[in-house]
Amino acid sequence: MDKDKLKDILENVRLFFGAATDFNRKSRSMLFKEAHNEMDEFILLCFGDILGIPIPTTYYSLELLPLIAEDLDGWQQRMINRLYVWEEKWSDYGFDA
Amino acid sequence: MNKIIFFGGKGGVGKTTCSASYAVYSAQAGLKTLLVSTDPAHSTSDIFEKNIGDTITNIMPNLDAIEINGEKESKLYMDSVRKSLKNIVSTVIVKEINKQIDAAAVSPGTEEAALFDKMIDIITEQVREYDRIIFDTAPTGHTVRLLTLPELLGAWLETLISKRQKSVSLMSMANHNGYADKSEAEKDEVIKILKRRLDKINLAKKIMMDEKLLSFIFVINAEKLPIDETVKAINILEKYNISVDGIIVNKILPDSIQDNFWKSKKEQELKYLEIITEKFKDKKIFKLPMLVEDMKSDNIREIAAKFKDF
Repeated sequence: MDKDKLKDILENVRLFFGAATDFNRKSRSMLFKEAHNEMDEFILLCFGDILGIPIPTTYYSLELLPLIAEDLDGWQQRMINRLYVWEEKWSDYGFDA
Repeated sequence: MNKIIFFGGKGGVGKTTCSASYAVYSAQAGLKTLLVSTDPAHSTSDIFEKNIGDTITNIMPNLDAIEINGEKESKLYMDSVRKSLKNIVSTVIVKEINKQIDAAAVSPGTEEAALFDKMIDIITEQVREYDRIIFDTAPTGHTVRLLTLPELLGAWLETLISKRQKSVSLMSMANHNGYADKSEAEKDEVIKILKRRLDKINLAKKIMMDEKLLSFIFVINAEKLPIDETVKAINILEKYNISVDGIIVNKILPDSIQDNFWKSKKEQELKYLEIITEKFKDKKIFKLPMLVEDMKSDNIREIAAKFKDF
């Protein structure tokens, strides 16, 4: 076999496993995304009434407001812009990567 | 009789007079008693002719009283939230949050929630201090909600805590190459606040339901509506495994009636009294006569003495 060809194959294999096991590239962004999703759900359960969803426990979540106030604006935008849940979920599988 | 007693019943049947005189009776029997009024009209102050207010005030030996007020409690809570906003730099965000708080202040259920919160505070903090805590509650529906609250709030808080924990630990994994730092979830201020609330609710639930320290006394009149409402309320309480200690039939007419109008009234009353004995046959029934004079601080001891047969 050609020496260059073998080198090419080995390089491709190295790249494949390098990318597949590269934690810092994809996994980290997935973890961040998951963390943010959980947080968005958390805020929804606390302050859904901002979006017009009545939450009977709003009184009790008020004391959390100062702690998550800074996330609130971004959350509201994300919730309002969230038009296609399917598309959002689809992109989680990373076919576009 | 249990340690925490709720006086319930339809509006106007005489819950406040009964609970106040029962509190005096308990105090005179040597039990350290706390009387808690949740009525925004604060009739308890009027009965004892003493300004009680929202701090625990001594009325007579062995008897303290407090009047709690949903409006005031909710204001205190909102103010404390506003105060902790000082750490936020952005004025835009502060403005936004203040808008939120203002909206919550006028939304339905806020005062009720504040009142419940205060009642739970009193139950958890004072249960070891007093031999008996007597609540003069608002009309029935209100009180039943208080008992469903621990379950509703408990489930909600548990979900919130687990969501937040997951989020914090995922964040920590992302920052530490896939390994979550467990201490980060413990240090999280949001989780701390939620856990504190959950612990308090669970403690109240333990005191009220598991240890069975809570019981009810219903005040009724010998009339149709108070009887019907009380039957319904007792059914709900039994679902929550809360015992009903007794029924006080208040404002019984005297026998020595001459006037025709009152005679027929009395006949009707006797009919209802029969229904009462029939419907509440497994409960202790205690009859209080209609008073010639209003109950005040000078004659309350006399009325309290009647409770020794209860």
